[in-house]
Amino acid sequence: MSEKGTLFDDEFLKKLEYLNLVANHMIPGHLHGEHRAKKKTDSGIEFADYRQYVPGEDTKNVDWRTYLRTDKLILRLFEEEADLPIYIFFDASASMDYGAPAKFDYARKISAALCYVGLLNQDRVSLVGFADGIAQELSARRGKHQVWHAFRFLESVEPGGTTSMEKAFKGFFSSRRRRGLVVVVSDFLDEEGFSKAFDMLRYFRQDLFAVHVHTPEEARPDLPDEVLLEDAELGTSRRVRISPALLAAYAQQFEEHCEEIDAYCRKNGWGYLRTTTDVPFEDLILQVFRQGRFLR
Amino acid sequence: MIFLGMSAGMMGILLGTTVAAVVFLYWLKPPPQRVIVPSTLLWDRLLKEKKRNPFLDRLRWWISLMLALTIGLAVASGIGRPELSSPGSGIRNITVVIDNSATMATRTSDGFTRWEHAVAHAGRLLKQGSARGNFLILDTSGQAPSREPGSRRSALETLVGLTVSLGGEPEFPDLPPGESELFFVSDGVMVDLVPPEATLISVFELAHNVGITAFEIEALPSEPTRYHAFVQVKNASPVAKRITLRLSGSLEGGIRDTLTLQAGETRARSIDLGSFGRGPVRAVVTADSDAFSPDDYAFGFLPIRTQTRVALITPGSLYLENVLANEPRMSLEVIRPAQYNPEVSADVYIFDRFAPPEAPRGPALLFLPPNVEWLTRTLDVVEVPEVTGWNPDHPVLRFVALEDLRVDRAARIAVPPDLESRSPSLSAEPGRKSVSEIVVGNRSLPLILVTDQTNRIVRVSFALEDSNFPLHPGFPIFLANAMQWLMDEQVALARAPGRIEVPLPMAAVTDLEGTEIVAWPLSDRTVFVADQPGLYTVVGERDSRLRVAVNLTSSRRSSVNDSDLPSGEITTATAVVVAGAEPGPSEELWIFLLLLALLLVVVEWATYHKRLTV
Repeated sequence: MSEKGTLFDDEFLKKLEYLNLVANHMIPGHLHGEHRAKKKTDSGIEFADYRQYVPGEDTKNVDWRTYLRTDKLILRLFEEEADLPIYIFFDASASMDYGAPAKFDYARKISAALCYVGLLNQDRVSLVGFADGIAQELSARRGKHQVWHAFRFLESVEPGGTTSMEKAFKGFFSSRRRRGLVVVVSDFLDEEGFSKAFDMLRYFRQDLFAVHVHTPEEARPDLPDEVLLEDAELGTSRRVRISPALLAAYAQQFEEHCEEIDAYCRKNGWGYLRTTTDVPFEDLILQVFRQGRFLR
Repeated sequence: MIFLGMSAGMMGILLGTTVAAVVFLYWLKPPPQRVIVPSTLLWDRLLKEKKRNPFLDRLRWWISLMLALTIGLAVASGIGRPELSSPGSGIRNITVVIDNSATMATRTSDGFTRWEHAVAHAGRLLKQGSARGNFLILDTSGQAPSREPGSRRSALETLVGLTVSLGGEPEFPDLPPGESELFFVSDGVMVDLVPPEATLISVFELAHNVGITAFEIEALPSEPTRYHAFVQVKNASPVAKRITLRLSGSLEGGIRDTLTLQAGETRARSIDLGSFGRGPVRAVVTADSDAFSPDDYAFGFLPIRTQTRVALITPGSLYLENVLANEPRMSLEVIRPAQYNPEVSADVYIFDRFAPPEAPRGPALLFLPPNVEWLTRTLDVVEVPEVTGWNPDHPVLRFVALEDLRVDRAARIAVPPDLESRSPSLSAEPGRKSVSEIVVGNRSLPLILVTDQTNRIVRVSFALEDSNFPLHPGFPIFLANAMQWLMDEQVALARAPGRIEVPLPMAAVTDLEGTEIVAWPLSDRTVFVADQPGLYTVVGERDSRLRVAVNLTSSRRSSVNDSDLPSGEITTATAVVVAGAEPGPSEELWIFLLLLALLLVVVEWATYHKRLTV
């Protein structure tokens, strides 16, 4: 415990233990890593199903008895336990270094919590900090003893740079990666938009769980009459004359942006969770569990 | 348009400054606040959709500026109290003389006083005609300075500062030269010499009044220690009145008398004050429906001493000691000069061939005093001086015959400075209060000199042993007279309300309740203003005291109905119409301007919140 940093203190770890207990209580014995997704293949021990033989296939699993009885070539299929990895992408761009508490710290806590639960349940967990591409990466780990590596890694990442999820996903999944669950913790303020990046995940046949983090003031800003808005990522500024109508329009715009992401995820059967930094992270994690996207 | 609050120049500066300040504040664009946001992505997207129209923005800015300017100018103009005159009304010069004599304080049937009606009339007269005319307000008591006609504003300000003057002798003021319409607002009681060109506006209405027209406290000639009050009461009402007269003093009780007086009747009463203690005496008359209150009460002061403490400082005088010891109302203490202490407390000090280096605390009778600083110098000694004359009218020498007075030796004392400037006659000049007076002898050789100052002094310039004076039958009378005169505490100075001078320098003045009245030193006198009847105590240096009874007691002032004007003719302001000129709508506009400013502020607030203006 002496290796802990300032972000993940005793209080945080106690909360993680609590979350783990709660997770076990909610769906006992059905955690993702312990009960891995089963794949019907021609190898394996446990019979699972039959299917029509396709010419060219290996005939070693043809059920000859059925062939003699029905004059049809039927293959016997067996269940094979698949090891589905978890890829946790957390946004480390400059836009995340905003608010009190900072969205970046909040995102790291969420990532740490999900990583902790995954490692405790024998999942293979990868942590990726991204900005304009992959910023830092912790290769896939499994087992509880990897928790401190993960925490140290999370603490070592500094926010900065612009956001490009597409580049990050492309860079990560271009090398051969197994299909798994991609958890993205981000504010989704990407100049190139989120859809291209999500399309990329779809292309790589990854499952996605999006955690949208923003501050309350991002959704409903309280600005003076005349402001010079400075972009934290790009450094550009824009003079804006604020009016109540404009603020309302902005709030509407923000809502539409969130709904757009949510709609995309729903369309693809993915999970989407939106949160503000004033919500305690443990409550958010519980909400994640309740959604059932992370736990199976 | 003219401005009542300030001059046109000042108003121009104020308006110009307001415009400059508003425009400057509008041009003064503070730098926008820098706000860091995570990303301007959504803002860019939003602003692309909602592109602003620069023309409308500019128009909004101008509308806002115009609103702010209008508000600023309305407030600034309101401060200047602008006044509009109707274009049709001509330029008129108006002089209003307002009667502020005592009877104007009479209350009328509507509850207001004649004075309040007069002020209302005068104010409305001053508001007639164009604001560019010349206006002047004058009064009959000299409160308003007689000067050249000026602006309406200054005339109205003068009017506001005027009050009813209970005292003094009111008269129609001198008018400055120049053409002007002349109005006189009066009840017609005290001022009767009015120029024929004046338009008289009457505020007279018959009123009920009973008042005290005389009140004096005097010692009885036969018994100087007994006092009586002389009270004269008048019924100035148009009907008979049942009047209650009450006298009260410092002791419990008092005297109450009821009498019925016919209309216009005056009756006098002499009331023995034997049951009254020393102190203020107040007389009050009451009757139903009394419309004029200042004459309902009068004040006086009753001085009574039961026993006089006399300190005789002598090396030994059989005559003095015997005579004084036989006086029943005196408490005598004989002190040898060597034992004299300035702290000795007495009502009268008698110094026989001795004088202390400093004046005693009370009045003193001195026989052949040596040279001391507080007395006039002794020049030389005259052997067998001739007694050339005396003043038998002086209280000290009353009933004292000095025909066969023989003096073997007398000191020649210097004539006091206040006597040097006066004519060499023996007695004091009539009408003038002397400080020093030679009652026996002449200027070249005063034998008995009296000084009437804070503490009275009787100085005899010879020793009793050097004369046959102690053997005279008049000597005990002289001593009694001298003691009476030295002890004579003045009843009270009688004065009418107004500016009052008392012969005490650097004195403090308090009223009956002990409240200090503002007083100003004036040479060897003190001046204060007493607007209302009352008893005032004036305390000068060395605790010298003087009482002033300020009473209205005047038959003329109590006669509130003594007017030639018909009763019940109080005209309302709208009925005051001057030939050839209708009253113009010359209302002040400041209230409308401030309302306009308030309305515009509300409009600005509403439009700002709806972002119709910037």
